[in-house]
Amino acid sequence: MSPNLLLAPILLPAALAVFFFLVPKRVRLVREILSVAGSLVLLYLAFALFEVKTLGLKIAWLGMGIDFDLRLFHFSSFILLGLAGFLFLISLYSTVKMKDNPRVREYYAYVFLSAALANGAVLSNNFVPLVFFWEGLLLTLYGLITIGGKEANRTAVKAFIISGFCDFAMILGIGLLWSITGTLTLSEISVKPEGLAAASFILMMIGAIGKAGAMPFHTWIPDAAIDAPVTFMAFMPAAFEKLLGIYLLARITLDLFQLEARTTMSIVLMSIGALTIVLAVLMALIQKDLKKLLSFHAVSQVGYMILGIGTGIPIGIAGGIFHMINHAMYKCGLFLSAGSVEHRAGTTELKKLGGLAREMPLTAAGFTVCALAISGVWPLNGFVSKEMVFRGALETGYKVFAVAAWVGAIFTFASFLKAGHSVFFGARSQDVPKVKESPSPLVIPILILALLCITFGVYNKLPLNEFIQPILAGHVEAGAHLDFTAHALSLLNPVAGISILCLIIALGLHLHGWNRAGKKAFLASEPIHNLPVLHNLYNLSEARFFDLYEQGVKFLIGLSTVLSRAVDRPIDYFFEKVVTAVGVKLTSLFQKAHNGQYANYLAWCLAGLLAIVGIVSLVVK
Amino acid sequence: MVFLFVAVPLVVAGVLPLLGKLSKRVLPDILSNLTFLFLLVYAATAGRQIIAGGPVSQQILWFGEPVQILLGLDGLALFMLMAIALVSLCAGIFSIDYMEHYGAKANYYALFLIMVAGMNGLVLAKDLFQVYLFLEVAAVASYALVAYGLGYEELEAAFKYLLLSVVASAFVLIGVTVLFGLTGSLGFEAVGRGLQELPAGPMAALCAALFVAGFGLKAALIPFHAWLPDAHPSAPAPISAMLSGLLIKVSGIYALTRIFFSVFGLTSLLSNLLMGLGVISAVVAALLALGQKDIKRMLAYSSISQVGYIVLGIGLGTPLGILGGLFHLFNHALAKGLLFLTSGSVQMATGTRNLDEMGGLAKRMPWTAATNLVGSLSIAGVPPLGGFWSKLVIIMALVQAGRWPYAVIAVLASVLTLWYYLLIQRKAFFGKIEERWKDIREAPFWMTAATVILALLCIGVGIFFAAVLKSWVQPAADVLAQGVTAVIPRGR
Repeated sequence: MSPNLLLAPILLPAALAVFFFLVPKRVRLVREILSVAGSLVLLYLAFALFEVKTLGLKIAWLGMGIDFDLRLFHFSSFILLGLAGFLFLISLYSTVKMKDNPRVREYYAYVFLSAALANGAVLSNNFVPLVFFWEGLLLTLYGLITIGGKEANRTAVKAFIISGFCDFAMILGIGLLWSITGTLTLSEISVKPEGLAAASFILMMIGAIGKAGAMPFHTWIPDAAIDAPVTFMAFMPAAFEKLLGIYLLARITLDLFQLEARTTMSIVLMSIGALTIVLAVLMALIQKDLKKLLSFHAVSQVGYMILGIGTGIPIGIAGGIFHMINHAMYKCGLFLSAGSVEHRAGTTELKKLGGLAREMPLTAAGFTVCALAISGVWPLNGFVSKEMVFRGALETGYKVFAVAAWVGAIFTFASFLKAGHSVFFGARSQDVPKVKESPSPLVIPILILALLCITFGVYNKLPLNEFIQPILAGHVEAGAHLDFTAHALSLLNPVAGISILCLIIALGLHLHGWNRAGKKAFLASEPIHNLPVLHNLYNLSEARFFDLYEQGVKFLIGLSTVLSRAVDRPIDYFFEKVVTAVGVKLTSLFQKAHNGQYANYLAWCLAGLLAIVGIVSLVVK
Repeated sequence: MVFLFVAVPLVVAGVLPLLGKLSKRVLPDILSNLTFLFLLVYAATAGRQIIAGGPVSQQILWFGEPVQILLGLDGLALFMLMAIALVSLCAGIFSIDYMEHYGAKANYYALFLIMVAGMNGLVLAKDLFQVYLFLEVAAVASYALVAYGLGYEELEAAFKYLLLSVVASAFVLIGVTVLFGLTGSLGFEAVGRGLQELPAGPMAALCAALFVAGFGLKAALIPFHAWLPDAHPSAPAPISAMLSGLLIKVSGIYALTRIFFSVFGLTSLLSNLLMGLGVISAVVAALLALGQKDIKRMLAYSSISQVGYIVLGIGLGTPLGILGGLFHLFNHALAKGLLFLTSGSVQMATGTRNLDEMGGLAKRMPWTAATNLVGSLSIAGVPPLGGFWSKLVIIMALVQAGRWPYAVIAVLASVLTLWYYLLIQRKAFFGKIEERWKDIREAPFWMTAATVILALLCIGVGIFFAAVLKSWVQPAADVLAQGVTAVIPRGR
């Protein structure tokens, strides 16, 4: 197969993006057919490349080790496949959901440009093209959020700045790594994260987990859930950014740096993962809006991936990567079903919804499967990957991380019980008029994703052997038997037992809260919301107290106010009032002397001459 | 053929009044502007070749007999010739349309050419008497040109100008006489050598003082400046541009520096004296400009202030200071010429020079407003225009020489400069257009063309400042830097 084929996943969507941008808004049919067909071609291409497995394309570019270097290998071909699959589903979904958007031209252009850039980033084997593609995604991210309307602009700026900060950190890390290793080619780098390399590791890690949306770089995601189009949420934070961020994190920990279990770096990563799981899920639990609830889960689940990869234990890493693809599937499905509900009911507020299962059975079914999958219910895919993460965490010996992961599992299930119960089950709400099931382009992607969740759960050996295991090939210590699939379906082991216990606790919590709130499902989380200390923390968090971006903005505004009052205004006063006053005074003084009298002027000349002569003769002698 | 610089304009000036009988407008326009163009092209092309082997002196022959007129061309003189030719060409182009309503164009151009011939001669002069002679040639022509409008104001201003200028000529003539008495010769080099052999300290110092006062009057350094704000605004706009852009510099600064650098030698006493005069002029005149309502008066005061800058740079006497001073002289000639021309356009369109009565003219006169902005910013020293670089060089030279107070004052004065130029721009061109100016029209083609050429030059010199400095200004500065031989006894 020709190496030039590697350019196709980048150039094809880019060309389509340009076309979508240029073609007038009215030409709907052509746009929709082309987008679906184009993404299908891309999907086929990804399959073909996945079969090829290894391919390299190197074009000399700027010199100094900066080449346009693309490399296809198992991991990148796997991510390519995932990206193409989600692009297809989103394109299909968008044909209905985005058809009336006034900026639909831009929307399609940004989506396909994102796909081109993401493919480029995944294929890059040189840091410079990688950064180029990576930064390009920043622009499409911004553009896509602004499509949500006027209110979205603020969120877009927020997302841009937070992601920009993370990318900046990554670039710094890359620079450090360059100075350490002297090469920019990814496949040639493998260092131990010690000393300066540790700093580089942390910086690049910030870039990766920031892209994936881990705490504390997540705060724009819940805002975007409200402001931005729901297709964007399913596309970017749920699918693309997870795939890219975790792909890079895995590359960092597996290839670029030799992360070992039970080292400082491993513990740092695991801590970030555990904190993200617990804090984000606690925030998700109390949300009153379906999209916002989902967005906090999109953050929380990143924690599992980071925790899994951070363990440095093969089964944990495999679990983390498996969780990435699983998460992308069910979270995309969840956002799409939220979009489907929004499409018909016109709202995603839990309070106004209820009992929609009868009228929208397919959406409800898809949502239920995805929700159970994310909660880790046997035998769905989320159960498998979470089990692997728990095991990895336990194997490191730091049990606290496993406990945190389990706590996360409890609240995940509790919050999805609440969400599903509020939207699809329970009493039919009176706020929403009678609705129909959404049209098939909305339902089909949801069902495909739900089906995939079941497949990957029941036949978990298939993806684990086909996709995940080869990624780890060569990274496991020699002789270690890489069999992490045996236990997965077995319910009869202590780890799985604890997980199932967590689910039962969650069910209990939900039923308790539901009863307490007078059978109102959307209030089922109130008992936890109102816990003494937690309540205050929740209030602070709702007021964005923990949002580093908002705090940073506040700090900068405060700083600029102080600077303005204490430094700038006085200086301004000095120039505006003191200097002008003095200037005008002096001017009028001099002007009075110029009275137009010739004699006067002649006298000055003579006085000047005398003065000069005087000075000269005094000095000269 | 160095004497062509003087002879050609003189001959054309002699012929013009006669030709004016044949053709009142077209022929004088074409002939005089061709003359200016010739001077420019000749200076730019032949000038460099003539002095390729070093400074050149040329004896003028009259029917084969040498007469006592010796013209010399060196880097500095060529630089000045270029500046004169450039500005006078633009002023000449501007005059094509502007002088229509004054009448008697042939006479006007004749006077104009005589003034140019005088300035060229002064630049090429090799002895003290020639300096005086050409000074008067240029001055007499300029008296008539200031009075050219023949209104009450013009006549009064010309008279005042004449009287104070005569005082200046008297000072210079006395100085020349004393030096002739002391050394028995008039040539720069001969006088310089003679002074070094004589123990003539105090007398030489007196002459230096007379020259400072005399040429200071011509250059309008404070306190010798009072004639200028009357004379320059009263003249027709192209003549204002010539007077402010060139005449004060040629007959004031150039003559002063030429004599001081090649006859007396710049001692620290003279250096301090010049720098003191320069800095006072720069600041006081800037403040005075600030208080003006009349656009041309404001420009005239600004000329005094900028002359102060130039004298500050040249008076410092270091190679960098001289370079900066000369470069600023060139930039100021371009920019101030431009500004007087645009002010002429405004006056012609609106009939007033009072800034308070204008407003919003940019809408009706976009070219004039734009070129005026370029000139203003260049003089005020805003990058990347020419004036920025020359001021920067002067300030750098001051800092390099350790003259911190002067450097600080120079910076502050340039802030004042920006202040009053923005005042012009805002009051005249920006803002809402006044009802009464609704129907004014942009200046005619040739007037606009002249201002656009100058504006482009301001921008071009700014952008290619390094090339201009290296190929034109540096050779001129080298002449001065080499010629420093001190003759006045040093007393501290």
